[in-house]
Amino acid sequence: MTMGPDMTDKYRSQPGPGPQDVDLDRVWTGVAAEVWRRQPGPVERLASRLLRSPGLARALLTTPSLLLGWVLATMVVLLAGVAFTLSTGTPWVALIAPPIAGAGIAYAYGPGIDPAWDLSQSMAVSDRMVLLVRALAVFGLNAILGLVASAASGAVAAVTFSWLVPMTAVCALALAAATLSRSANVGVLAGLAGWLIIVLGSRVAAGQLTAAITSTTLILPYLAVAAGCAAIAVYATRTPRGMS
Amino acid sequence: MNVEISGLTRRFGRTQAVAGVDLQAGPGVFGLLGPNGAGKTSLLRMMATVLPPSSGTLRLLGRDPGSYGPRREIRRRLGYLPQNLGYYPGFTVAEFIEYFALLKDMPSGQVPRAVATAIEHVGLGGKARAKLRTLSGGMLRRVGIAQAIVNEPELLLLDEPTAGLDPEQRVAFRTLLREFGQRATVIVSTHLVEDVAAACSEVTLMDTGKIVFHGTPDELIAQGEGHGVGDAPLERGYSAVLAAARS
Repeated sequence: MTMGPDMTDKYRSQPGPGPQDVDLDRVWTGVAAEVWRRQPGPVERLASRLLRSPGLARALLTTPSLLLGWVLATMVVLLAGVAFTLSTGTPWVALIAPPIAGAGIAYAYGPGIDPAWDLSQSMAVSDRMVLLVRALAVFGLNAILGLVASAASGAVAAVTFSWLVPMTAVCALALAAATLSRSANVGVLAGLAGWLIIVLGSRVAAGQLTAAITSTTLILPYLAVAAGCAAIAVYATRTPRGMS
Repeated sequence: MNVEISGLTRRFGRTQAVAGVDLQAGPGVFGLLGPNGAGKTSLLRMMATVLPPSSGTLRLLGRDPGSYGPRREIRRRLGYLPQNLGYYPGFTVAEFIEYFALLKDMPSGQVPRAVATAIEHVGLGGKARAKLRTLSGGMLRRVGIAQAIVNEPELLLLDEPTAGLDPEQRVAFRTLLREFGQRATVIVSTHLVEDVAAACSEVTLMDTGKIVFHGTPDELIAQGEGHGVGDAPLERGYSAVLAAARS
């Protein structure tokens, strides 16, 4: 039974020689399955093995902020940061990497960016697990790109690694805002605004633009913000209560 | 029973979308009728485990969807077509259906044949490799139906499935419903009483969050004898029951 005429019906209806007891529908479906089959790439196969879930791997590979265009745009911005760092001596890569990662996290998953969000929520692979895997992957990729760019800009090792803690806080803030507001753009704005406030506030307090990433006294507050925002994100994506 | 609902309510602020619904359903095709704002979509979304109830009990496929493990098992065996289904415009028909087959935790080895079968079921074989952005509204609706049935669900929930389908497709769709209804519980929310008359073994009529009628289509038709307004017998039954519920 099909819901309308199509090419397969046309081909199926062609008379021709063949054994009478062959189920042509079944044969055709087998052929169609092979013809329409999508071959997962090596990255998806690896992710499928690591995550032990082909669905989760497919969801990971469709993350908007992991698509080639987004990654290339991130690299271009970081390269510009490298150029500014080399020409001015100010570690711009370390200053721009946190909000870039935060934007990627905010755009990882959610009702604001996923057109099939309502349907996704009824799936066996939970939306929370998809969000977690995507957020970790985006964070990891941005951390690697940022570290490479920072190293390429000739920053000292202390600066190269010091922005990872503030990046964690900014990413957690962006994620919390995005999940709570159900809007990726709100997440991006929250991450960007939060980072600007910290950078400018630290500059006023310490007299240095880089104080936000070099001051060791800020590490604990950053970790506290990251933990608090992670808790908010967990709350915002919590399993619905009252199902029974 | 695949669906066991008792005293189910759902509030949005001060609005009570679903108000103490009791419903039981085994295999068969069930029509969910009612005017706009009657609570059909909210009830369907609760059954799809997308929306948590405010109170009441809900058991699906013999399991409690409030716990993670049973909910995951329910979702593996569930097919759901939302009223407003969003699409990834860059996906092909086959990719879109495959994506949701994988998210339903189907074994990856079974997915290609299941996708092909679902595509054939909705008559989109000629469009399997077409991008979703190139399809018409009716074709997109059929893609939505295909993703709902790709896992051969035991509980199939369809919200306005025939919106945008042409008459020929609607007739074929009703045949599909009857086919699934032989082995699964199919609940169809619709405004189109002719779909209910043609395909459903039972019909539930909702108004202001409550069930105001539950029975067979013939019983609903009998409610409209000598009463109600409408061109078709079922429409007269529908309007007679609603008028009685509101009086």
